[in-house]
Amino acid sequence: MLITIISIVIIDFINLTLLSRPANNSSPHKPTDHFPFGSAGVPIKLAGIDIGSRSIEFVILDSETTEIIDRFQAETSIDLSKQLGLIRERYDWGHLVSTGYGRQLAQKVLGGDVITEIKAYTTSAHHFHPTIDTVIDLGGQDTKALSINRSSGQLHKFEMNDKCSAGTGKFFEMMAGSLGLSLDELVAEALRGSKSVEINSTCTVFAESEVISLLTSGVALADIARAIHEALLTKLVSLLSRVIRSDSGEILFVGGGAKNRAMVQLLAEALNRQVIVPPHPDFYGAYGAAIHAIKSV
Amino acid sequence: MNPLFNDDFQEFPLKRALAQVMSKREAGAKVIGAYCSYAPVEVVWAMGGVPAVLCAFSNAPIAKAEETLPVNLCPLIKSSFGFIELKTCPFFELTDAVVGETTCDGKKKMFELIQEHRPLYVMDLPQCPTNEGAVAYWRHSINGFKKFLEETFATTISDAAIEESIRECNRKNRLVEGIFAFGACKPAVITWQEMYAVATYAMSAQGSDAITQLEGIIATLTTRQEQKQFTSPEGAKRVLITGCPVGGDVLKVLRLVDEEGAAIVGLDSCTGLKPYANVTEEGSGDPLLAIAKRYLKIPCACMTPNTGRFEVLKQQVESLKPDLVIDLVLQSCHTYNVEAVKVESYVREDLGTNYLKVVTDFSQQDLGQLKTRIAAALEMN
Repeated sequence: MLITIISIVIIDFINLTLLSRPANNSSPHKPTDHFPFGSAGVPIKLAGIDIGSRSIEFVILDSETTEIIDRFQAETSIDLSKQLGLIRERYDWGHLVSTGYGRQLAQKVLGGDVITEIKAYTTSAHHFHPTIDTVIDLGGQDTKALSINRSSGQLHKFEMNDKCSAGTGKFFEMMAGSLGLSLDELVAEALRGSKSVEINSTCTVFAESEVISLLTSGVALADIARAIHEALLTKLVSLLSRVIRSDSGEILFVGGGAKNRAMVQLLAEALNRQVIVPPHPDFYGAYGAAIHAIKSV
Repeated sequence: MNPLFNDDFQEFPLKRALAQVMSKREAGAKVIGAYCSYAPVEVVWAMGGVPAVLCAFSNAPIAKAEETLPVNLCPLIKSSFGFIELKTCPFFELTDAVVGETTCDGKKKMFELIQEHRPLYVMDLPQCPTNEGAVAYWRHSINGFKKFLEETFATTISDAAIEESIRECNRKNRLVEGIFAFGACKPAVITWQEMYAVATYAMSAQGSDAITQLEGIIATLTTRQEQKQFTSPEGAKRVLITGCPVGGDVLKVLRLVDEEGAAIVGLDSCTGLKPYANVTEEGSGDPLLAIAKRYLKIPCACMTPNTGRFEVLKQQVESLKPDLVIDLVLQSCHTYNVEAVKVESYVREDLGTNYLKVVTDFSQQDLGQLKTRIAAALEMN
């Protein structure tokens, strides 16, 4: 008995660090429409997990109501197997699909199927936004641009950033660090800044030296923050220009980077198109995985 | 299922090629190192020599090469140079002379750095192959190479000997083509590892032994086909690899395709079918001109226009029926990288086939990204 209590305490302690829930979890995002195919019998819990380089997103859907029953987000742990083991202990589901860079390990620990995050994003984007054919995902160490066939929901084409993390969310983190700001502060500064200077590199190492040189020449912090965003914007526009079609309308912006209001605003201006950021954009990989799980039911 | 080669080199095609070169050298043949498919091997065989491919695909010597060469250079050039600096390339160590071609700027200037190591002849390759005078000029280059061999090794290479080696190469090349044609079988009866082994073997093999070996391989593949001995599951996605030459550490891309359960059914590169395609005219009366005409048809991205590449892609896609064409571009190979724009459009729009460009080097640093890209491209319908 004593051992059980101790182990619960230990697991809960680990849970706090490895499975911390986001503060805004009280209002789960509900799908805007219903799945075309619900299960006829008993509702089945469908789980989707997206294991990215920076964070893990996990969702459970009800196969009948298609509502999100549960979700959490946590930083990707160094000991991913242990973190996944805790998920297995804490949650139950009928079928699970894993995506993201850790998908193979997730399959080993949690079972179920795997799909790439490209397929996951395609699935969720088309499910929730069937009229949108262009998607950009700004993740921790990956940026992807997708072109989706609006009528079939099939992926038409995709482009990804180069092999290094230049042009990804990680770039913002590093740049904020160089300026002694938090990520939120960097965004707030950028929204205040004007386009007075340029940063030419999205390589974190080169950009850092550009930032330091601008700081020492007395350029306003807000303008530097803006220039950092403009540098990444160039990358996003370049990726998108390879997939976007002349008749493409709105752009769906997902991934953790879509929470960056300055980036959203700049992207909309640069593309001269409406940029849609859904609630919980960072969960779109996990949603896509869970929706894909329906096919296995 | 019977293997294609019954020897001790099942998993080691380069060691097989090395053994071939060594045995010919021991029998008195001069070893001529070559850096690309434009090296007119008929002239080497006519001299009684043996060609050995020096293009290297290992990441190991790159750090050494980067002590001298720029980092942002094609990994193939760095690897080849690094091996020479370290004296660890067994093929280079066996060579008596080396032939290079001006296929790209990096290689061209690298040749200047290795010329003290071996007698070296650099052939100037015309890069507008359909322009007036291109074939005649290339014939001069081939003649210059012939004279270089004659002077270096105090020998003469007769037209009759070149005619004979043209006939032998044609015969060998048709058999290699016949082997690669089994890629059209659905499900597959030949793996990319086997295609790669055949392409590697045929570069340093010639004469009746080679013909017997290649005919035996065709018989084995015919048996596999008749007895439904498949090398991939039914319904496996099919992939055609095009682009830069592959081997060694860059085979990571091909292994990732295997990991996703797909079957590579064609290798359209200089380490695949490319050096064996096209026929050299026999009995033309001017064997060097016949060789010049055939070699200028090699559809390398260094050529402009490179219309042959698109004709070959059309044939390959029609016969092999791939679900995906992977255009493999080595980092800093500008010609293949830029040509990819036209290749993508042609494969997608004209051939109606899915396409993925992969730019990579010999390191393992991009394995995760490559796996995601390849898996995602194979997930598409």
